[in-house]
Formats: sequence, structure tokens, C-alpha cells
Amino acid sequence: MFLRLVADSFTRRPRRKLLSMAALAMGMSVATAALSVSLDVGDRLAKEFRSLGANLLVTPQADSLPLEIGGVDYRPANAGAYLPEEDLGKLKTIFWRFNIMAFAPILEVPVQAWSPTSKNWSNPGVVGDTTLIGTWSEHSVPIPDGTSYVTGIDKTNPWWHVEGKWFTEGSEQCVVGTAFSKKSGVKVGDTLHVHAGDVAGWRPLKVVGILSTGGPEDNAIVAPLTIAQQLANKPGQYRRLYVSALTKPEDAFARKDPKTMTPAEFDTWYCTPYISAIALQISEELKGTDVRVIRRVAEGEGNVLTRVRTLLWLVTFAALLAAVLAVGASAAASVIERRTEIGLMKALGANSGLVGVLLAAEQLLLAFVGGGIGYAVGIVLARVLGERIFGFTPEPKLFVLLIVLALAALITLLGSAYPLRQASRYDPAPILRGE
Amino acid sequence: MGASSMFWRIERRLLTANYGRLFVILLALGAGAAVTSALLNLQIDAKKRLTTEFRALGANVIVAPRETNNTDSGSSTLDEGLLAQLPTQYEAKPVPAVAFLYVIGEVAKAGTIHFDPAVIAGTEGHGLTEIRPGRRTEYLADVENDPSACEVGAKAAAQFNVHAGDSLQLRNQGREASCKVFALVATGGAEDTQVFTKLKTAQALDDLDGRISLIQLSVTGTPNSVKSFISSLSQRLPGADVHGIKQLSEAEGRIYDRISGLLSATVLLVLFLTSLCVMAGMSNVAVERKNDVGLMKAIGGSIRRVVRLFLTEAILLGIAGGLVGSAIGIVVSIWLGIAVFGVAAQPRWIVYPVSVTLTVIVSIASAFPLRRLASIRPASVFRGEE
Repeated sequence: MFLRLVADSFTRRPRRKLLSMAALAMGMSVATAALSVSLDVGDRLAKEFRSLGANLLVTPQADSLPLEIGGVDYRPANAGAYLPEEDLGKLKTIFWRFNIMAFAPILEVPVQAWSPTSKNWSNPGVVGDTTLIGTWSEHSVPIPDGTSYVTGIDKTNPWWHVEGKWFTEGSEQCVVGTAFSKKSGVKVGDTLHVHAGDVAGWRPLKVVGILSTGGPEDNAIVAPLTIAQQLANKPGQYRRLYVSALTKPEDAFARKDPKTMTPAEFDTWYCTPYISAIALQISEELKGTDVRVIRRVAEGEGNVLTRVRTLLWLVTFAALLAAVLAVGASAAASVIERRTEIGLMKALGANSGLVGVLLAAEQLLLAFVGGGIGYAVGIVLARVLGERIFGFTPEPKLFVLLIVLALAALITLLGSAYPLRQASRYDPAPILRGE
Repeated sequence: MGASSMFWRIERRLLTANYGRLFVILLALGAGAAVTSALLNLQIDAKKRLTTEFRALGANVIVAPRETNNTDSGSSTLDEGLLAQLPTQYEAKPVPAVAFLYVIGEVAKAGTIHFDPAVIAGTEGHGLTEIRPGRRTEYLADVENDPSACEVGAKAAAQFNVHAGDSLQLRNQGREASCKVFALVATGGAEDTQVFTKLKTAQALDDLDGRISLIQLSVTGTPNSVKSFISSLSQRLPGADVHGIKQLSEAEGRIYDRISGLLSATVLLVLFLTSLCVMAGMSNVAVERKNDVGLMKAIGGSIRRVVRLFLTEAILLGIAGGLVGSAIGIVVSIWLGIAVFGVAAQPRWIVYPVSVTLTVIVSIASAFPLRRLASIRPASVFRGEE
């Protein structure tokens, strides 16, 4: 009888039920979309921030002071210390290895360069002194566990644009900065001959791309690391390493000095992807290095990320609140509308409890169906939002479904509780009279 | 005249007949208006605030000599007077600007004889800490204003074994100077290996009186407004090369677009949902009005007149709820600004009329189910059939 009554109320007035279900579904779909996007957005934004470039800089510990102005080191090639390239695979073995997004070693060599095609024949194209930056592009790094990882300067410095293409590892190719290209007339396809200090002979390199960075690299030549090592006579070595890592914005805890932490605190700190913890883990793997946090990048990122996360949670909360109000109002409306029916039931001898349970069962059924539909629509909405804004699709998460269903049930019950309580107190007679 | 005063008398009765109901409707409309205005205000403010947060990234515009030749640091310099020609404000935000002169000299701790080469950067201007973000690990405020004060990068400090309060000897090609360390700074960048002195000290060391290597500025604004700052500045300084730092401008532009798109989308969703909520509440009330409509029609009220009555009621309610709710919302957003950004959100007055208008529109739209009442047959209402 009970079930028949519930079923009856759905089939008898399908339009009304559809309307309240639509309100519920809409409210819940917005709640789902807001929740799914907020849950994913932190990670997505953190990835976006990697377009700012490296946030960690690794240099030899026993180094002399670099004489760096505007990104160019004025030290002679034989001054200062170097680091072994073969160790770099170990970066992907640290605790937070999956948070290491990219890394690229740098070795700069002062060179002289000329190109037979750079000037007309009466003015032999001696370009003069410049810097050759040896680094990786699309380089496959062997990792101690037997796999390999592809990374390079194109990943750490995404604002470096190359017209043409990047050089291929292991070939005699290079890309030249746009200012250098303009000054010397060297174009893609030309051959550039470089010569460094005490290594004899000119080395021909094929220009495969023009690089624009907006920085001092615009005046330089960028070539595979192995070529720079041979020119500098430092096989298998590099001078600086840029690491781009996904991190958690630093909070008050992260700013504590690890040396003053209790062992338990240290474990928590070590196992949180704070930039300082990742820096420590890298210096544990790469012996004899000094790992420094590039403060402007790390802190700018931290500030913006923390703000945006709070802001999004706030907006999500507002969305949930609005959904609660919408669903609650429609639940209340559906109870108020049925006053006559309630009066009739009571006149026929149903007690207030039975009426309450009956209506609550109806509302719950509505909540689950409406909530389910809302979840499905919300996932699509979240996809559209994610794709439009970030070009990614948020994964549908099961616990969002649970939250949404629980929320829908709770709100419909709460929304109908007050009118239900009133309804159970109705005196059937005046209601049936239409008063 | 008589008809009009009758209209308003009925209107007044409609509104005040049931205070409980009036309260509920005003609450719904007011809450909707409050959420709308709070979010709109916060959204506008957040976008502006983000551009400020980005300045934690440091300088984003550089004024350098034209035709820089990087292989020879000393050859191309700018006149020191350029610094005074720069605007100190842009879009009502201060623009920190610092002039640098780089000298490769030799440095030793006072009292020792072992000199090591290091980059000495002479600086002058305001807002060095904004231009060059980092952490000062040691800092002596009382030494800072000394004419021979200097700041040392963390790596350089370790190399020369100096702390705040110590003195350094500087020399370059026979010229000598000394300076008193007032702070140690860790930036993680090239600055860690440099010694920052007053501009005069560096100029004396390099014998380049009145010259500077470059000026760095930190301009607050959306990517587009920074771009227009750069182009207007390069017109004003024809002798210099003004350019943005691509690393920052590109990333900032991308991130700014993402965040503002996300904010706009979610705020739009919430606004849509809020109006839905208000509509749901209002149409409840419309249904309750069946009896009134039936009665009015039974005693000869024309449909148009009845609809006009209810529309006027909706507009009045919308204005009242909107005026109060939007004001509350703006106050709330000021407080939310403190919660999110630590700075009170600046109330923007455009938000107020917009959100009041939106509320009125929503309340009119939610009165629309009342049109269905036009088809009500009074008799069946009174029999309680519909």
C-alpha cells in the first residue's frame, strides 16, 4: 500500500514531479561541476605555473663565484667547478620523483663564430665573439631503474620559442638567437663554424632554428650539451642545472627550519612536496651540489595559488549554498501544494507519522533520481568548463557522486521538514473545505 | 485618479496582507541579490588583486641601452637621469624602479688580503625588494641609510664569510672603495652571487660617473595594460630599449587568462543558480495567489489589470530586496576580500546598480507563472478544483 501510494504520486502528476526534479537536477549539476573543477584546479594551475620556468637551480657546492650579468657568465671556462652529467638520472629517483616535471643542464662556452653565408663575399662573415650554450632538447635521460625520461630546455623554459626546429641530440646542429641572427645574417639552413679557446679547429654546425627568448640567449648560440662539452674540453660535465618541480605552496610550517623540527615533524615536512623538501632531496641524490630555490618563481607561484584556491572554494561554497536554497525551496513548494492531499489522508485515518514518512520517502526518491541526473549533467558541465579554460577534462570522481547524492537527500529532507511538520499539524477539516 | 488610487490600495494590501510571506520573499530576493553583488564585486576585485600578486615575481620591464652587446659589459650604458623620467605611478599603482650599474670587480672582507672577483651591482631607486624578490636572512635597519651601505647575496656572503655589520673592501682597476654590509639576501638567482652597493660607489669603482647599465621596473597591471605601458614608455625614451621580460609576461598572461576565465565561469554558474533559486521561491507564492486572482476575476477585474497588479508587486519587491541585499553583499565582499587576499576588497559602485537590476529582472521573470493564472476560471478555483 505504502509503495503503491508513492508510485501513484509520481505517475498521477508527472509534470509537477518533473519540475521539482528538474530544479533538483539543475542545482546538483552546478554543485557537481563546481566541486569537480575546484578539486582538479589546484593541480592544473600548478602545472600552468611551470610555464614560469624552473624553480630550482643546482650549482656545484665548491664553485667560485659566478660573474654573471644578464644571464651571461664572464668567468673563464677553466675557472670554477663542474658537475657530472651521468648523475642526472637520479633526479627521478627521489621521493617526489613524479613532481619533477623537467630539468636541463647548462654549460656555457665563449666561442668565436663565422658563417660563409652570413655576409656577401667581399665581407667575409666573421661574426666574432659570442656564447655557445650547451643544453638538452628532447633528451632521453637513462634512469637507474632501467627506464628513461625525456626532458630538456624546451620543457623547463617554455617561453623559448624556436622558429624552425630544435636541434636533434647527437647531431652537429644548433639554433641561434634572433638578435645574433639579425646581426650576422645567419639563417635557418646555413652552416655556422664555431671555435673555442684552446681546442683546435673550426667546428661546423648546421643552423636548424632561430630562437627568441627575450633574454640574453637572443645573442647566443644554443647547441647540444655534448658539443659544448667537447668545445670546453669538459666531457660529461655541466655547470648549472635548472629543475622545474610541481610543489605545494609554502605555509607557516614549511618555513620552519628543518633542523629545529622534531622527527615526526621532519617526516611530515619531508613527505610533503614543499619546494624546500624537494631541494633537500635533490641535494641528497646529487652529491656536492648546492640546490637553491629560485625565490621569485616559487613565491609568486605560492602566493597566487593559495589565493586562487581559497577564492575557488569560496565560489564553490556559494554554488552549493545557492543549490541548497533552490532545492530546499522547491521541496517546500511541493509539500505546500499537497496540503489538500495530506488533509484527505488524515481525514481517512492516517496519523501524522505515516504522512510524514510517506512524503519523506517521495522526496528521497526524488532526491536520488534528481541528484543522479544532476551529477551526470554536472560531469558534462565540468568537462566543458575544464576543456574551455584549461584544455583538460576533469576525471569523474566517485566521491563527488556520493557527496552530491547525500547533499540532495539532506537538502530535500531539510527543505520539506518545516512544511511537513506544519502539514502534520493540519486539521483536515478546514483544508478540505479549501480554507 | 480614483482608479489609480484603488490600484495602489490593492497593491499595498497585496504586500502587507501577510507579513510572514513578505518576509520570506524579501529574504529570498535579498539573499539572491547579496550573493550576486558579493560575487561580482569579489570577482572584479580578485582579477585586479591577482595582477598585484604577480608582482611577487619581481621586475617585468627592463629599460636597457639600444644595441646591447652582451660580450662587452662596460661599453653600452644609459644616462642616470633616465631614472627620474620614469612615471612613479601607473593606473594608480606605484611603479618600483631601480637603476643598476654592474661592475666586475674584486671583493674581500675588511681586514683580509685575499681578493676574489665578484659582480658589484650599484643600485639606486625605490623598491629594490619588489624588483628583486628574495628573503633577507640578516638585516640591520640602522646601517641601511649609511652612504656606504651594501647588501650581499647569500652565496657571495658565504664565499667572503661576512655577516650583517661587517665591512667589505671593493676594488677595480686600481680604484678602491669600502662598504658596510646591512643585509644578506637569498633569491636563488644570479643575485645570490652579487654585492649590491649604492650607485655612486659602483660608478666611482668603474669610473662611469652618471652612467647606469639598465633600469628594472615592476609594473602592476593586466598583460594588456603592461604592454601599453611598455609601448608608451619606449616612445618617451627614444634612446633606450624598453622591453618586457618574456618569461614573466607569457606565463602571467596564460595564468591570468585561465584564472579569470575560471572565475567568470563559476560566478556565472552561481548567478544562474541563484536566480533559479529566487524564481523557485517566487513561483511558490504565485501559486498561493490563485484564490486572490479568482476573486478579482469574479468581481470583474480585467486580466490585464490583474497581471499589472502582480507585476507591480514583483517590481516593488525586486527593488526592495535588491537595494537591501546588494548593499549587504558588497559589505560581505569587503570582508571576503580580507579572508582571501588579506586586503579589503574595494567596493566598486557599478556592481550595485547591476545587481539591483538583475534582482528586479529575476523577480519579474519569476512572476511569469502568474500569467497562467489569467486562464483561471474563478468558479473552479472557488470549488477548490485547481
